[in-house]
Amino acid sequence: MHELSIAQNVLDIVSEQCVKSGHAKIDSVNLRIGRASGIMPDALIFAFNAIKPDSIAQDALLNIEEVPVTGQCNECSNSFIVEEEYILNCPVCKGSSFQITSGRELDIIDMEVS
Amino acid sequence: MKVKVVTKILEANERIARENRRLFDNAGLYVINLMSGPGAGKTSILEKTLTMNTGLRIGVIEGDIAGSDDAERIEKHGAPVVQINTGGACHLDANMIYEVLQDLPLQDLDLLFIENVGNLVCPAEFKVGEDIKVMVLSIAEGHDKPLKYPLMFQESSALLLNKIDLAPYLDVDINKIKKDALSLNPKLKIFEVSCKTGEGLSAWTDWLKEKALRS
Repeated sequence: MHELSIAQNVLDIVSEQCVKSGHAKIDSVNLRIGRASGIMPDALIFAFNAIKPDSIAQDALLNIEEVPVTGQCNECSNSFIVEEEYILNCPVCKGSSFQITSGRELDIIDMEVS
Repeated sequence: MKVKVVTKILEANERIARENRRLFDNAGLYVINLMSGPGAGKTSILEKTLTMNTGLRIGVIEGDIAGSDDAERIEKHGAPVVQINTGGACHLDANMIYEVLQDLPLQDLDLLFIENVGNLVCPAEFKVGEDIKVMVLSIAEGHDKPLKYPLMFQESSALLLNKIDLAPYLDVDINKIKKDALSLNPKLKIFEVSCKTGEGLSAWTDWLKEKALRS
């Protein structure tokens, strides 16, 4: 829902890190985005491509690895993967008390620079 | 060549949230991030809270996409208030809060409410430096909300079930809301309230006083 501001954060962080590493150009950036982070990968790529011209990332490709939502049930201890991001129930006991163990990531992993 | 970055994309927000937190601590201020969908009654809850005799010195930051209607409503009750217009953004972030803190008499307040933009998804993702999050759900929104928007229920310390006076006219299953909300978050404190009749509001303000004065 707020992909443009997320794209701006990504551009700011990688530009700063690229300059710090003594390089002039970013070729690609690798992100990990959880499926319960509220961020749509396609919209994030669209926003990134819209703001990258005239920056050192103007030719950079944004690669996104999506992380599934996983939970651990507090009632039966079953670990499970959630297919629907926002409707969460333990598939074994149908309980709705659980810990989210992954799926909220919004991380920059690494980038290729030259 | 490959360069490791390993940074949270929201790191800048979290850094500013920590700075806000430091300013709040210096002022001895307890801060609540108040969240709900549009129209659940956040501003009405604040108006009622301001008119009840809590003895707390309360300030308010109003977050809306546009307009100053909410701030005007709060101002009528004599509380220090600042309006933030996000200009389309779906949530408040730490920097928006940081920029208006100089407009509030932080040292003269006990409790600051940050009324977030009406939205059940994004506000829960962005820390603004608050002590706790509190959410409002009006019962007319339906009993499916906890399982559809689990994050907000999991992140909140208290849930105000507002418009409880409408219960006789609705098919909503209030026990299901409470049961699902508590299974998502066993520590959640739930208040059934009505801004129309005043029902349940003194239990809310008693809890609030205990929270704010203990800080």
